Amino acid sequence: MIPLTYYLILSTIVFTIGLYGIMTQRNGVRLLMSVELMLNAANINLVAFSSHNNDMSGQVFTLFSIALAAAEAAIGFAILLSIYRMRDMIDVDNINLLRW
Amino acid sequence: MAIEDFAFLIPLLPALAFVVTFFFGKKMYSGGALIPIGAIALSCIISILITINLLQNPEEVVHQSIHWFAILNLGILIDPLAAVMLSMVTFVSLLIHIYALGYMSHDPGKARYFAETALFTAAMLGVILSDNILQLFICWELVGLCSYLLIGFWYQKPSAAAAAKKAFLTTRVGDVMFLTGIIVLFSGIFKIYNGNLPEGVYVLQFSEMFNLIPQLSAMHTTILGFEVSQLTIITLLFFGGAVGKSGQFPLHVWLPDAMEGPTTVSALIHAATMVTAGVYLVARTFPMFMGAPDALIVVAYVGGFTALFASTMGIVMNDIKRVLAFSTISQLGYMMLGLGMGAVVGMEAVGVSMFHLINHAFFKALLFLCAGSVIHSVGTQDMRQMGGVGKIMPITFITMLVASLALAGFGIPGTSIGTSGFFSKDAIIETTYLFAEHTGNYIPYIFGIVAALLTSTYIFRLLFMTFTGKPRTNYGGHESPSVMTVPLSILAVFALIFGVLTQTKFYHFLEVTFENSFVHVNIEHLAELGNYDLVHNPGHEPLFILWLPVIVGVAGLVISYLIYYKKVVDMSTIVSRNNPVYKLLYNRYYQHQIFIELIALKITYGLSLIGEFIDRKIIDGIIDGISDGTIAIGETIRKVQTGVVQSYATAVIAGVGLLIILLKLIVEVQ
Repeated sequence: MIPLTYYLILSTIVFTIGLYGIMTQRNGVRLLMSVELMLNAANINLVAFSSHNNDMSGQVFTLFSIALAAAEAAIGFAILLSIYRMRDMIDVDNINLLRW
Repeated sequence: MAIEDFAFLIPLLPALAFVVTFFFGKKMYSGGALIPIGAIALSCIISILITINLLQNPEEVVHQSIHWFAILNLGILIDPLAAVMLSMVTFVSLLIHIYALGYMSHDPGKARYFAETALFTAAMLGVILSDNILQLFICWELVGLCSYLLIGFWYQKPSAAAAAKKAFLTTRVGDVMFLTGIIVLFSGIFKIYNGNLPEGVYVLQFSEMFNLIPQLSAMHTTILGFEVSQLTIITLLFFGGAVGKSGQFPLHVWLPDAMEGPTTVSALIHAATMVTAGVYLVARTFPMFMGAPDALIVVAYVGGFTALFASTMGIVMNDIKRVLAFSTISQLGYMMLGLGMGAVVGMEAVGVSMFHLINHAFFKALLFLCAGSVIHSVGTQDMRQMGGVGKIMPITFITMLVASLALAGFGIPGTSIGTSGFFSKDAIIETTYLFAEHTGNYIPYIFGIVAALLTSTYIFRLLFMTFTGKPRTNYGGHESPSVMTVPLSILAVFALIFGVLTQTKFYHFLEVTFENSFVHVNIEHLAELGNYDLVHNPGHEPLFILWLPVIVGVAGLVISYLIYYKKVVDMSTIVSRNNPVYKLLYNRYYQHQIFIELIALKITYGLSLIGEFIDRKIIDGIIDGISDGTIAIGETIRKVQTGVVQSYATAVIAGVGLLIILLKLIVEVQ
């Protein structure tokens, strides 16, 4: 049996990679991918605690979370696609019409 | 139904006539003039009938009052004082309206003219009929408005527009004082009742005001180290309003300029009615003046000085209407002087002064209408271009002569022969003599007698320059139509015989003004409050004193005759820029320069500049500074909201990290 700590370390690593991606990347697709990484880190946590505590509700939450991530990815990619069609690029720094 | 029940119609009819003429006058015959004439004729009939009723039983005055809202009462009061004014105003106004049919016949703005004069008549009747001071003030402002509108009747002329503005602003100074007086009065009454004003009683009604005179007189305020009775302050503020309206020194400057309006307006508003509203106000609140120490003395001095001051300027004017304007100011000064003499004769002063007011209304309206007749025919107002008008306008000449004799006060003392001006003006001068004898102060008497000499001089100068000699310019003239000469003749009859007919009755009638079913005050008692020492059984004045006013009147006639008819003195030596006295008088004591260049341009403008500096730089500066600071801070701080999700995420992560560290620390400390 793999101890809980290992799962947590894995999820921390995945989360930190996602966070690093969010803070440094300017490409919209990469950003979305980073967000997915962070979400999945949370999912790993949920499942790990679920099996550790012998409580199934954590895994149910994970299913919800995956469904939510799918929806989010669909909307996010749709927006990025239409921006790409309009501007021929998906650099988020240049999408600043509503900025001061 | 008794005629008294229709008293409310007196001001209402001209007001309705105003509405009708104002909106539909243009489509009617002669600008709808017949509607105001009919309305005022009806008002006149009602007024005269009420006056006749009142004559039989002067103590049963007409008083109706309606409570309206908490602070306003609408009331009608016809006591002897109001009755004589009512009859005079409606009668003179009627005659002048008829005259205006002819005088204004060529003017395209006729409908506007008749509407405005009807409104004026309604407002003036409102002033007279008011039974409380607040209603009087409202109507007082309304006559001021009508005066403004009618002076500026020919508003296309810049001088007329300027004159209207001047009249409005100058009288406004007095009106503000009047309003302040009412406020001070009300606060005084409020204090007397300790803030619990009695239910169902209107404290600003004259009867209530007069009942509180002793308490008001006992209240004192310290101003500049002098202890002044509250009542003196109130009465002097009221008098300030009267000074503005009645053209007394130093607020008389608007009246000569007011001659820019049509002559009928000058006759109606600036000779017979509106300018006497100030005198009426003082007469109406006379018991308060009686109870106020020193107030009547101030009234007497201002009046006497104005009488003299204005008549000196009347001598050198060349514009026929301006001579009459200065004459009006001077005669109003006489009326104020007469009221001020209440300090020795008590209630009789009101009778004397009002008698002069009524007589003056007749002969001064007549003088103006005659002048209007001449102007209408000759086409100029400058007397230097007239001369010999008497030959072509005999009726105008004779009526003007009658009016001039009345103004100069010709008559035979000791008998009942004399023009109306003789009876009333001499009565005023006699009371000033009584005052002089009683107090040893001859100044008011000297004012009166010198002004009488000058009055006679300027009015006969006007007469000789206008009507006698040869025409000095080539003017085509004709006698005015009968619609103008008939009112002239009626007024001339009144100017001639009104004094003889009513002389003794008039004083008796007015004596009960403040002792009747509406108001009951004891003048003797009030005079004690005001420290006035009344004379009870005056002895007869020496014969010389009785004759002196007539002698100076004749002297004035002779002086004018010699200079302007016989031309024994070469006028060019007197009338020149090198004669300092002439220059001073002709420039009207440089009042215009003093008022405009010193007071308006230097003092007021300087104060305005300071005020502007404080307003713009200091007050606005503080407010602008606050808003500018807020905006600047906002501009800087808004940069935090980058709109970039990544920086928000960074901030969130940093915040969460910080929180965890803090939590960890707190847990460890515990």
